[in-house]
Amino acid sequence: MKKLLFAASAALAITSCTGDLTDLNGNGKAPEKVPAGALFANATMGYYDYVSVQNVNQNNLRLWSQQWTQTTYVDESNFELTERDVNGSSYTRMYTTVIRDCEEARAALADLVAADAEIQAADASIEVMEVLAYGFLVDLFGDVPYTEALTETNTPVYDDDAAIYMDLLARLDAATANLSGMSAFGSSDIIYGGDAAAWKKAANSLMLRLAIRIIDADPAAAKTYGEKAIAGGVFASTADDMRLFYSSAPPHTHPMWETLVQSGRTDFIASGTLADAMNMHNDPRRAAFFKNLGGSDSVIGAPHGLQSDYYQFSQPGVALEDPTWSHAAIDYVEVEFLLAHAAVAGWAGAGDAATHYNNAVSASVIEWGGDQAAADAYLAQAGVTYDAATAAAQIGLQKWIAMYSNAPEAYNAVRQYDVPMNVAAGALTVTPDRYSYPIDEYSLNEANVKAAASKVNDDDMFTKIFWDM
Amino acid sequence: MKNKLSLWSVLIFVLSVNFAIAQSVSGVVSDAASGEPLPGVAVAKKGTNNAELTDFDGKFTITAEKGSTLVFSSMGMETKEVAVTSDFLQVSLKSASSQLDEVVVTALGISREKKSLGYATQEVDGAAVTTVKDANFVNSLSGKVAGVNIQSSGTLGGSSNIVIRGFKSLTGNNQALFVVDGVPISNSTGNSSNVASGRGGYDYGNAAMDINPEDIENISVLKGAAATALYGSRAANGVVLVTTKSGKVSGGKKTLGITASTGITVGTVNANTFVRHQNQYGPGYGRYYGGNYITTAPGDSTFTDGRAQAVDVNGDGNTDIALPMGEDASWGLQVDPSLNVYDWESIFPELPTYGQPKSHVAPENGAMSFWQQSITRNNNFAIDGGGENSSFRLSATNFNQTGIVPGSNIGRDNVSFSGKFNASDKLTVSAKANYVKQSGKGRYGTGYDARNPNQSFRQWYNVLTDMSAQKDAYMNYGQKNYSWNAYGYGAANPTKPHYFDNFYFSALENFSTDTRNRLIGNIMAEYQINDWLKLTGRMSADTYSELREERIAVGSVDVSKYTRNNRSFTERNNDLYLNWNKYFGNEGEISFAGVVGYNQRRTEFQSISAGTNGGLVVPGIYALSNSVAAPAAPGESAYQLGVDGVYGQASFGYKNFMYVDLTARRDVSSTLPAGNNSFFYPSATLSFIFSEFVDVDGFDFGKVRLNWANVGSDAPAQALTDVYGIGTPFNGVTLASAPSTQNNSSLLPENTSSIEAGLEMKFLKNRAGLDFSVYQSSTFNQILPAQVSTSTGTYYKYVNAGQIDNNGIELSAYFTPVQTDDFSWDINVNWSRNRNKVVELFGDSQTLLLASVQGGVNITARVGEAYGTLEGTSFVRDGASGAPLVYDWASSRGGARYYQGDVGVIGNIQADWRGGVNNAFSYKNVTLSALIDMQMGGDFFSLDTWYGYGTGVYDFSAGTNADGNPIRTNIEDGGGLSWDEVAHLGIETPMQWDGTTVDADGNPVGTTNTTKMWMNDYGNALGWALGGPNELHVYDASFVKLREVALTYRVPTSALADLPIAGVDVSLIGRNLAILYKNTPYSDPEAGLSAGNVQGYQSGAYPSLREVGVNLRVKF
Repeated sequence: MKKLLFAASAALAITSCTGDLTDLNGNGKAPEKVPAGALFANATMGYYDYVSVQNVNQNNLRLWSQQWTQTTYVDESNFELTERDVNGSSYTRMYTTVIRDCEEARAALADLVAADAEIQAADASIEVMEVLAYGFLVDLFGDVPYTEALTETNTPVYDDDAAIYMDLLARLDAATANLSGMSAFGSSDIIYGGDAAAWKKAANSLMLRLAIRIIDADPAAAKTYGEKAIAGGVFASTADDMRLFYSSAPPHTHPMWETLVQSGRTDFIASGTLADAMNMHNDPRRAAFFKNLGGSDSVIGAPHGLQSDYYQFSQPGVALEDPTWSHAAIDYVEVEFLLAHAAVAGWAGAGDAATHYNNAVSASVIEWGGDQAAADAYLAQAGVTYDAATAAAQIGLQKWIAMYSNAPEAYNAVRQYDVPMNVAAGALTVTPDRYSYPIDEYSLNEANVKAAASKVNDDDMFTKIFWDM
Repeated sequence: MKNKLSLWSVLIFVLSVNFAIAQSVSGVVSDAASGEPLPGVAVAKKGTNNAELTDFDGKFTITAEKGSTLVFSSMGMETKEVAVTSDFLQVSLKSASSQLDEVVVTALGISREKKSLGYATQEVDGAAVTTVKDANFVNSLSGKVAGVNIQSSGTLGGSSNIVIRGFKSLTGNNQALFVVDGVPISNSTGNSSNVASGRGGYDYGNAAMDINPEDIENISVLKGAAATALYGSRAANGVVLVTTKSGKVSGGKKTLGITASTGITVGTVNANTFVRHQNQYGPGYGRYYGGNYITTAPGDSTFTDGRAQAVDVNGDGNTDIALPMGEDASWGLQVDPSLNVYDWESIFPELPTYGQPKSHVAPENGAMSFWQQSITRNNNFAIDGGGENSSFRLSATNFNQTGIVPGSNIGRDNVSFSGKFNASDKLTVSAKANYVKQSGKGRYGTGYDARNPNQSFRQWYNVLTDMSAQKDAYMNYGQKNYSWNAYGYGAANPTKPHYFDNFYFSALENFSTDTRNRLIGNIMAEYQINDWLKLTGRMSADTYSELREERIAVGSVDVSKYTRNNRSFTERNNDLYLNWNKYFGNEGEISFAGVVGYNQRRTEFQSISAGTNGGLVVPGIYALSNSVAAPAAPGESAYQLGVDGVYGQASFGYKNFMYVDLTARRDVSSTLPAGNNSFFYPSATLSFIFSEFVDVDGFDFGKVRLNWANVGSDAPAQALTDVYGIGTPFNGVTLASAPSTQNNSSLLPENTSSIEAGLEMKFLKNRAGLDFSVYQSSTFNQILPAQVSTSTGTYYKYVNAGQIDNNGIELSAYFTPVQTDDFSWDINVNWSRNRNKVVELFGDSQTLLLASVQGGVNITARVGEAYGTLEGTSFVRDGASGAPLVYDWASSRGGARYYQGDVGVIGNIQADWRGGVNNAFSYKNVTLSALIDMQMGGDFFSLDTWYGYGTGVYDFSAGTNADGNPIRTNIEDGGGLSWDEVAHLGIETPMQWDGTTVDADGNPVGTTNTTKMWMNDYGNALGWALGGPNELHVYDASFVKLREVALTYRVPTSALADLPIAGVDVSLIGRNLAILYKNTPYSDPEAGLSAGNVQGYQSGAYPSLREVGVNLRVKF
């Protein structure tokens, strides 16, 4: 009996080892394949979540464009970038979430059961998202990895920023050819619900944005693509906006709600720079942009970059505290400003500069709760009324104000149109002209980032990128 | 000693059952001291290979003619030669006084003579962890074993890091493997990466702390790869072998012993390890409140100096002074008893102080009064006994500890059973089972998190907060969140907490609970095939399930929330091995012992965590259904892994002076790619006892040892194939993302090779001895998620790359300066030094990020440096003097600030050396022992002073400078601090970061930098804000501590003669009574993070405790 017991246990020990070990390493909780649409939706969400927010850890561009300043912890208002690795987070978000999931979605398109045209339209939508992400990167940094990004190499080379722009324009041009009817993404397209025709307008609008951006650096190419974009059809009303509406339920609330409401923090107030610009012309958008206004509905702006008491200054408006607020990657307001600039440049099909300028400002006033009468009154003021002699400065100033809802474009307007910025109290300098490269790149991709840095005065934040002339 | 003896004798006895053939001489062997019979004593006829062992009753029979000589030898006893003068001999053996000549437990639980081992092991007696107990027995090893680095987290029930002979793996596990009674057990923490990197969360401890110190018979630490090679890949980091107590068998008689013990320990906060606050300035960040820099004179009713709000609080039409209570810094209005101010106590309508101003003075009860005494209770009851063929032990222990944070406690119940039955002459079956229920409530919040009061006390605080008023407000007015940090006057919600909750509300409402039910056990059968061959089969399991729940109450600063995490873990090991022990040659001068075996390991882990979303609907109900928005999809993870191993060991001995061991093991692991999933690793050791050839007075024993080993290691589970993550859907749309780590389907096993040499010597009739080791190890071809440029689309890629080398020396020594019948004095010393070097990383990369911690500091592995480099901004120093260079800052503020140099190496976590010295005095029935534990070198970055120097909470910021002027005065009025003064801030000894400008006596050398730094608000040159470089907040972690003191009185047996009591011990114990040396002004240099590879960082460090207690142990 005892021997039997022993023999049995020994036998058990031996026989129970015959199972195949390789079966054990699987992961029953996470799939090896997912639908393309789910990846595309995540890429889209990743882009919007990043660019729509303002907080100290990501996207400090509302501070850089001096629309806001901080109350107590004023580092970012003084253009401190590296302590919280804000440059690193923007870089990483675009490559590892937006572009990566776009590429994963593209690879997964083959598994979708849909008509070829719908697959091609989906592929073209992916192209538009990728162009958005690369455009964001180039605008911030200048040269970035492009041709070797997301390839097998662990150390992608940095490509010339102007060359990347040319390729992005070409990609948009090619994408528009495939954008008609419906895309295979359907509801996974969280912007247009699979409406490829809407994507075509977005692609053309984006092409127009990139074209206007390089208008000083490469006027001929700018004109070629700009005119193509206009001819192909850009946004004609705010209904066309490339806009994402957030949800009331966390975690997909508008990220600005998390910053301003959920966190309970009191970090951001109106910067004196924007306050002065708006007060000068009794801007009708003031009560929407800010709360806690002073006499005559004036924005009480704080000296940029200096510590200030939250309660004594104007604070971000109620609209920004709505969790269901939306964000547009590119919208009708911006397109009208782009067309105004195109018209100034005399591009075919661009129409009348003053009309576009008035349309842009009016649409912005209406977007922020005003009516056409308020817009007209505003536009009637000297300095606001379109004047061909000061067109660039006016377009720049008004675009900077109107892009209150799209901080990257506000910062781009500051740079392209040289909108006057104040000297930040702590930094004793004005807004820098670009982001420096992320510190991680120096340890992980050293040779390539140093080559790129050498082209911008040793990664100097005050060296302008190629289109900022 | 006696315990050890009976343990090994039981084991040896197994070998003896089949002996006893012929008889000519018989006898009995007993212990000279106690008179009790000694089983398992080897009885050999001198000059022959004729040998027998004594049985349970100490009896033996051997063929030997009169006139021949019998040699009696037994481990732990002095060998004795007796001439055969009659056919019945009575022999008594004296115990050997040597502490090193003993049988030790080695890999697989095999007991071996220590002298035969070619590698280093160090034994710790069970008493070393039971007399002065720590909640986590791992902490009790600190200072007692050379080469072992223990880092406790300093929180109630928190995890302890145990690293033996240095960090070897770049990103993998570096913790020692715990093996209990031959069975590897889980020591995972399951802590989040936030806890491990100081960002916040609860530290739920390391799983090995479930082991009950009361059940520990002894601990054997196997340090090098050669010692652990038989355990396989997991043991590359060393092994802590724990042998638990079993039933004692005494001469085959039926016995029953009962032991009961009880203890209570009281811990109080050591003020020397806590922040010292200034008490001169109120809340606020600077001079920008109450309008545009109001500069009215003191005495004026509207005076605020811009450091407080000027508002009409009481509606009388006059401006009052309201402190900016919503701010969590202390650069505010200077105290002045003549000023009446409105602070947080005046803002809550429910409090009796509502609407009332108070005199602007320092509080009676500061932050220190928040801490309560900790109380630890421990009760143990054990029964052990046995009969002719069986033995057992049954033990129950209840442990309970309340912490220094109100509402915190942990408890542990252990019930263990151990039984053994000699089923026949050849077959022995045994079983062990240990049930543990561990529970916690209100564990300390850690790191940079609002649940950690130290985040406030040390970093963000209004030092004028009266702690007793905070307590009263919470306790006596409906347990509401009346925070010292309410938004304050002028805000939309003046009474809402801004950054911090009321400390008592936070501790008592926002608490965690956890329980872990665990069973560790094995059944084993040993079959003695013949007199030299034995087959052993064992099945064991370590299984637990755990529930962790965390709560944030409605009304807190943070969104109210309930999260739960259910975890379960099971590891099964099946072992089958054959071992032998055979003697050959004349007198058995050649021994050949060995083992061949098979091990099968299967591990399963499951975890699911879920939380409410968007807040709680009904306050106080902590359920997933009580969620404002639909809860997000729970996070689930599950893995399985399996390793099948075959191994063998051959040990050759020659004439008791030369031993050679060879081992080999081949593992097949499920975590490696099929077809490439097996790996083989060998070891070889040599032990040579040279004292056999040396005859010098006073020199008793000498041995050299040498070994080489190469150990393979597999990959973490699920590192081969890429999978996608699925997120919370957006408006019904599925979101899926690519993983942040790219897996690798062609991983190869990683490898550690090591060599070690050692010397053991004993002198003066074993009253002195030393054990010296020198080793070198190299871990290469490591499996690591290498960080890559994110422009590749991923953060990490699994690769085989990288190498870390460790080399070091270890010394253990003992000496008994005095030994008389009544009095003895024993000294034990342990000392070790490990040098660690990262030799290579992935590709050309020079650094591998281990953690990016708050404060802009990275903890990295950097090629050419020791593992654990602190990287951050440094001073720019003057080439000649080394003094930091400063520049004039904004002229509007005056003063200077430091140039911030590039990001570079500012410290390293590795210590230069560690040591422990134990002195034990014994006089008749009284013993007194004291352990001093020390570490020299090693750095940490303090987020506490990084922020705290910025927020003006530390004492020095309210002091005066060398010119006698208040530091906070403007520079032009004589205020501010010079570098020379900064270098001496609030510290007893020169700060490490100032090593180049201050000599050993603290006097400056070279040119003194006398430029004053402006110090009157948060933007000063020392704190984080636009200010001091990270290097300013790097501290030397050296310490010398009086770790343990124990005074034990053993009631004389004569006094108990008429009672049914066999023995009574009373001990007075102390733990961490004093820190004799340290270089950290406001904290315990040991305080830090939870167990893991990221160390060298203090973020909301808890103060340490002085513990004093009493233990009573009664044996029946």
